[in-house]
Amino acid sequence: MIIISQKLKNMENQEKKRTPKNIFVNGPIAPEKISKSIANHATKTDIGGHSIFLGQVRADEKEGGTVKAIEYTAYEDMALQKAFEIREDVFSKYPLTCMHIYHSLGEVKTGEICLFVFTSSKHRKAAIDACEELVERIKKDLPIWGKELVDNDSSVWKENT
Amino acid sequence: MKVLAFGKIAEIVGNQEIEIDNLPNTEVLLGYLRQQYPQLQNMKFTLAVNKKQVSGNTEIPRGAEVALLPPFSGG
Repeated sequence: MIIISQKLKNMENQEKKRTPKNIFVNGPIAPEKISKSIANHATKTDIGGHSIFLGQVRADEKEGGTVKAIEYTAYEDMALQKAFEIREDVFSKYPLTCMHIYHSLGEVKTGEICLFVFTSSKHRKAAIDACEELVERIKKDLPIWGKELVDNDSSVWKENT
Repeated sequence: MKVLAFGKIAEIVGNQEIEIDNLPNTEVLLGYLRQQYPQLQNMKFTLAVNKKQVSGNTEIPRGAEVALLPPFSGG
């Protein structure tokens, strides 16, 4: 019995180690999900500041028409592994209480939300800086592709700069 | 070995996944792909071997998964 309870304890300790989390959401990120996520932090009373970035699909003008949606695809396994590395790195760099990353897959129409990054800390500076760094690294390092769907039924592959 | 294509490259290759005989390194693989799919010759992309991005000529382990990654455009 002692051995078993010790084994259970070891398992509990191992579970505390952070592992890759799913960041992908099918379709747009609903505003309700964002407000619910904010509300979930009400019990964490050591937080003094949140920083939120929301990416929204823009109706860019293209040759022959206007963008009506972006269709996102990803190399999911690699993206989740990479997102985990970025997450660990940013956690070790800033004194954060919480960090949440959500990115859309599939079709997201103009005006809808495709990226939600949420950081929380005791004081605002860490939350703001960490949020900015996360957004930059997500756009630069995650194997995700957006195809802009134009209203004349053509399409253009986006390229982050 | 398995070759995965994404984004614009998946459209050119016409497939998201192709199975080919094992090739020793990424230079040989690129030569093969450019011959099979001439449109790749003037395309910008990087490679990942077993989900790790590589640069320069890299050895490909037997049965590896190699991904062709056009410039990222998430967010």
